[in-house]
Amino acid sequence: MSNDTQKKSGVPIVVIGLVFLLVIGGGVWFYNSSKPTNNANAPKVNNTNSPKPSAIPANALPGANPPNQSGSPTAAVTLEEFADFQCPQCAAKHPVLNEIKSTYGSRIHFIYRNYPLPMHDKSYEAAVAAQAAGMQNPNKFWEMQNLLFSNQDRWKEDPNYKQTWKDYAQKIGLDISKWETDMAGIGAKSLVDADIQRGKSLGINSTPTLYINGTDIPFPQMTVDGLRQLIDAELQKAAPPAKMANTANTGNSNK
Amino acid sequence: MTTEDTDTQTTISKLPVAAAFVALLGLADSIYLTVHHYTAEPVPCSIIEGCEQVLTSTYAVVGGIPLAAFGAAAYFIAFSLALLAAFGYRRTWALFGIQTILMAIFTGWLIYVQAVLIRAFCQFCLISAATTATLLILFLASLVFGRRQALNSV
Repeated sequence: MSNDTQKKSGVPIVVIGLVFLLVIGGGVWFYNSSKPTNNANAPKVNNTNSPKPSAIPANALPGANPPNQSGSPTAAVTLEEFADFQCPQCAAKHPVLNEIKSTYGSRIHFIYRNYPLPMHDKSYEAAVAAQAAGMQNPNKFWEMQNLLFSNQDRWKEDPNYKQTWKDYAQKIGLDISKWETDMAGIGAKSLVDADIQRGKSLGINSTPTLYINGTDIPFPQMTVDGLRQLIDAELQKAAPPAKMANTANTGNSNK
Repeated sequence: MTTEDTDTQTTISKLPVAAAFVALLGLADSIYLTVHHYTAEPVPCSIIEGCEQVLTSTYAVVGGIPLAAFGAAAYFIAFSLALLAAFGYRRTWALFGIQTILMAIFTGWLIYVQAVLIRAFCQFCLISAATTATLLILFLASLVFGRRQALNSV
């Protein structure tokens, strides 16, 4: 490969060492420079191309009112999810969030925001379909949401997806003609649009995005264990020491 | 030694140098993705859409460690082996070849995952795939030139 003077020289070892140091140093520098700041008071640009802030700014738009929500609106911990019905990771995280909802019940306030991404051809319509179901009964929104996420693989490439959704609507006992009218009308769309506007005002450009008490949760932490840790910490923060002691005593007295 | 022999030998000696530079590109790409994973910031997907679906998919993480971090380690090793080969540590070129073949197989799997399982492509993953393919081509070229040189010298 080369002449003998180059052979077995220490030059490559030195270069490899330097590159290694450069990689570590460069990686740390790049990490620090791309890490989002935690300053919620910093002015935020309402543009989906700007980096997503790590906390919900006070001037964020409110979103659909009433939102699609479960649990207790007065709970100490609020989870706000922005999701897209055609996003594979939203479907993957759906059972995780369902488990969290059933574990914590009224101890949390869960809000689901529709945030259909423009790259998905059916996700806006799917959001409207779920919203229209919710207009008949808030529980029907969750039933439709469950069906849309659980069967995402079946309808997202299906040319007859509207018929598939109609089957879901029948399955959950919706008044089909009202559901179809609501889907075509402005009511459901305006609720979806309000959620989208809120998402945009937060600079969200990927789904799922989840906030716990206003703090953006990194995707790798969106596991049952990861979320439980965060929610428990928030619940602990919110509970006054006396109440915590009472809770402990109550727990003992039930034994 | 004929002129053709000398040319072939020169070409062979340049291949590990080229491989080291290509491995550095792959290393930079992998570090970029690794850092983005840990900052949880969306990757700018300017050429094709689908980066987030791929990079936030369950396939993107193994044992809590992003695949990109494994890629960075692999490219660093490939760079080191190629550089050592360029400086006359001949055996490291064979190790480089073995590693590159393994990387290419794994890259094939990742392309399958993107195309069939996720149905979305990430441009940075495709850059990495192209880098691995280039490394494999360089290694295969060294075998072809080496064989030609051996035949000429008979």
